[in-house]
Amino acid sequence: MFRHILYKLLRWIPSVLVVILVVYALLFFGAGDPIRLMFLRMPGDVAWNPERIAAMRHELGLDRTFLAQFTEYIWNLLHGNLGNSLLYQRSVNDMVKVAAPVSIQLALAAMVIMAILGIPLGVVAAVYKNSWVDHLIEGTALAFWAIPTYVAGPLLVIFLVRGLKLMSVPYGWEGLFSPKAIIPLIVLSLRPIAIIIRQSRSAVLEVMGEDYIRTARAKGISNYLVMSRHILRPVLTPIVTSLGLVIANMIQGNILLEVVFGIPGLGRLVAVSTIDADYPVVLAVVLIGSFLVMGTNLAVDILYPILDPRVRQTQVGGES
Amino acid sequence: MTVLLDVKHLQTRFKSRKRYIHAVNDVSFQVHEGEALGVVGESGCGKSVTMLSLLKLLPPAARIEQGEAIFNGDDLLQMNSEQIRKVRGAQIGMIFQDPMSSLNPVINIGTQLSEPLRAHLKMSKADAWERSVQLLDMVGIPEPRARLSDYPHQLSGGMRQRVMIAMGLACKPKILIADEPTTALDVTIQAQIVDLVKDLREELHTTIIWITHDLSLIAGLVDRIMVMYAGYIVEEALVDDLYTDPRHPYTIGLFGSLPDLGGQQRRLTTIGGAPPNLEAIPTCCPFVPRCKYAIDKCKIENPPIKPISGSGESLHSIACWVDIRDRREA
Amino acid sequence: MTEKDIPQITTSGLLNAEGLSQDRKYSLWRDAVARLMANKLAVISLALVILLIIISLIGPYFTPYDFLSQDLSARSQPPSWAHWMGSDYLGRDVLSRVIYGARTATVTSFAVVAVSGFIGIILGSLSGFAGGRVDTFIMWITDMVMAVPPMLLAMVASVALRPMVAAWMERMYASTGDTFYRQTFWADIFLLVTVLTLVLWPTYARLIRGQIITNKTKNYVLAARALGITNSSILVRYIIPNSLGPVVVQLSAGLGSAMLWESAFSFLGIGVHPPIPSWGNMISEGMDYWRNSPHLLAAPAIVLGVMTVAFSFLGDGLNDALNPKQWSD
Repeated sequence: MFRHILYKLLRWIPSVLVVILVVYALLFFGAGDPIRLMFLRMPGDVAWNPERIAAMRHELGLDRTFLAQFTEYIWNLLHGNLGNSLLYQRSVNDMVKVAAPVSIQLALAAMVIMAILGIPLGVVAAVYKNSWVDHLIEGTALAFWAIPTYVAGPLLVIFLVRGLKLMSVPYGWEGLFSPKAIIPLIVLSLRPIAIIIRQSRSAVLEVMGEDYIRTARAKGISNYLVMSRHILRPVLTPIVTSLGLVIANMIQGNILLEVVFGIPGLGRLVAVSTIDADYPVVLAVVLIGSFLVMGTNLAVDILYPILDPRVRQTQVGGES
Repeated sequence: MTVLLDVKHLQTRFKSRKRYIHAVNDVSFQVHEGEALGVVGESGCGKSVTMLSLLKLLPPAARIEQGEAIFNGDDLLQMNSEQIRKVRGAQIGMIFQDPMSSLNPVINIGTQLSEPLRAHLKMSKADAWERSVQLLDMVGIPEPRARLSDYPHQLSGGMRQRVMIAMGLACKPKILIADEPTTALDVTIQAQIVDLVKDLREELHTTIIWITHDLSLIAGLVDRIMVMYAGYIVEEALVDDLYTDPRHPYTIGLFGSLPDLGGQQRRLTTIGGAPPNLEAIPTCCPFVPRCKYAIDKCKIENPPIKPISGSGESLHSIACWVDIRDRREA
Repeated sequence: MTEKDIPQITTSGLLNAEGLSQDRKYSLWRDAVARLMANKLAVISLALVILLIIISLIGPYFTPYDFLSQDLSARSQPPSWAHWMGSDYLGRDVLSRVIYGARTATVTSFAVVAVSGFIGIILGSLSGFAGGRVDTFIMWITDMVMAVPPMLLAMVASVALRPMVAAWMERMYASTGDTFYRQTFWADIFLLVTVLTLVLWPTYARLIRGQIITNKTKNYVLAARALGITNSSILVRYIIPNSLGPVVVQLSAGLGSAMLWESAFSFLGIGVHPPIPSWGNMISEGMDYWRNSPHLLAAPAIVLGVMTVAFSFLGDGLNDALNPKQWSD
């Protein structure tokens, strides 16, 4: 089994390298000159002095060839150094260290909410299929799913702050357990909950229609056992897969959320850096994002054989 | 012989979107203690649905419209879910067609076998496990103890079906309903399973109801056969009588389509036409469109099932207006 | 006793209680359309989508005001008879801008789905049918694209390609003098469509590849091969039509999704730029005034929400229509 994981990791590394290369190249050749952008930000009386520009360029190493810069980047990467922000001359590592925990906290909290609320609701909807309970749950899930983050956010704010006057405007970040985090957390969880509800419901429905459930009932065992053992176990596999997918997606749902609510996490970091063409920062976040996506996929892959005995022996080679 | 199960006027329908499918129409029969009853008919004739109705194992779209099924003095169809749960597995067991899809793929054999034991006989986990070893041995599975930790996909088709049989008989029910248990298996395995059931029947004195579409299979197994068509019972007889003297046009058609190993080579005959549309209950006999012997009366009224004249107490009944001995061809 | 006295079975084998036969022409698509029409939610959604298309095509010609014209004396008015959806902070009519925003959303999403769907289906079909090295290679590419969180990839691509597109537009204008190239609207859309296609094509590729692989081994394909039908014929006439089911559902969902992407990008400032209205940038601008003029935010937000839900229901309806489940009710 470890061979399988190792195999997957090995296949992943070249892909990541290509991704880094492509993204780096895209930004390098396309994004426009960061020096120029830097200058555009400076106060108006700073002169556009070509010598100073050239000197700056040289100092930042931006006048070397693509290959030289890229190699240095990779080299630094292997040492755990994500480079320096072009605009702020700070270590990207530092920037990430500050921003990452915020995003991670939010994401983890949302994950917990999503699992605790979403799975049971989906199961309930499936068990009471086609009743008003089912329609209510499904309808709500659909509504949650369809509303974009940046719509739900402001709407909720209008509703809760101006309408019901429950709290003040949540802009900025004061920690996970502060009132400012409530609305962003709700908004972040909306779509994931919706997806989990629908997936759970459909997984349970599919299992419920299987022949072996009929056999289980024919044996005269209690309904509770049928649900908790015969239905729940096979259902875990698709649900865990969905959880994995949703988590991977949450990594980016964060971006809009953080921008809207002014939360200083990785999402806002990358949004701002992209507009500024500050590509070491952008690259760093893209890398982290890909890592997380791959990590979740890997975790799901590892869990699979544990959840579904049918998969256990046939692990030689990957799927294509 | 005592009557274990007495079914009267059972009618079951399925609702699908706006239509109704009349799967079982006015079915009445009795099952006697110790006998082996075969139920024969083509796909869709209602044989499975009849038995599933008795144990209330139907999908949500189905409704039992009327009927009663007296077992042990109680009407099964009137029972609530807790009462019927106690009957299932303990008094009446049922095994199904495809053992791969009928066994839970993510739970091991031992647990699945132990479940009815613990639910009905209140055995402890350890006791149930032990008993499961004996059960597997009883159905002829080698190395039974090791097999308990296996999962269904690790066993062959024949072994899986044996496990199903063991599960069905675990609590020694009075009746075992076998719904086409051999249809999904190889011919050689089929024979083994049939033999196994015969042996177990003798050993445990279980009453067997065996559903199949394969007439040749059950000849050596059952005492009596019910032939079903379009949700009705069209002929009922002792095995020998049915095979030597079939009276209903449908039964004759079924036998005509069986290849004959010993006798003369002849073209296999088929029953012309197509299976009936169950969306409407015809007022006429449902077999009319395909019947070579139909007379005018058949197109007007649906014949009730009656013992044939001169049969005395031989239990041979048909649902037909025509006595085919008088007519070869209409 | 003649033949006529025995009710005949027709080829479709249906016989009702009076013994009369009922013939029905049967085809997968006709059946699916019938099922779709029976689903009320799906029909409403379809109507909304068609309405959207009509509005986006001819709406801008019928707007009460030009979406650019400012009336500074009537700034930030709540909805009234003069301005059905109110006016914004520059005195522009919100309704007109919403209508024009519909055009932005529709053009972008249809273009995105068309192009990414086309590329995805072709590559996916090729991959699924050819198998072997071709399949491995194409799947390797999709894996890589999908490994990067889509939003990030899109943002990066957008920022990277923008200057190139702008430069190209400049050159084209310089060489042809056609003012078409001056319109930033089309530059924005072009960039957006390119970027979103890049991010979204793998979904379709994977989907149809999966379907093709499943269908490839089905018996009717073997039968066709045994008859000597050419591979390309088999692919086009047998396999692809049977594989399109889930793809059609995804295309419909993709429309809603692309609309959300467009508005998200416009919201962030890297999609369609003001003053050209997009529901996304209208929401972004409206957010600044949420306290006093919530209608600026609410109007495009509600419209966007309704359309997304409509696309979703339509997708669900299509799914039910194309993948019927027996005994489900």
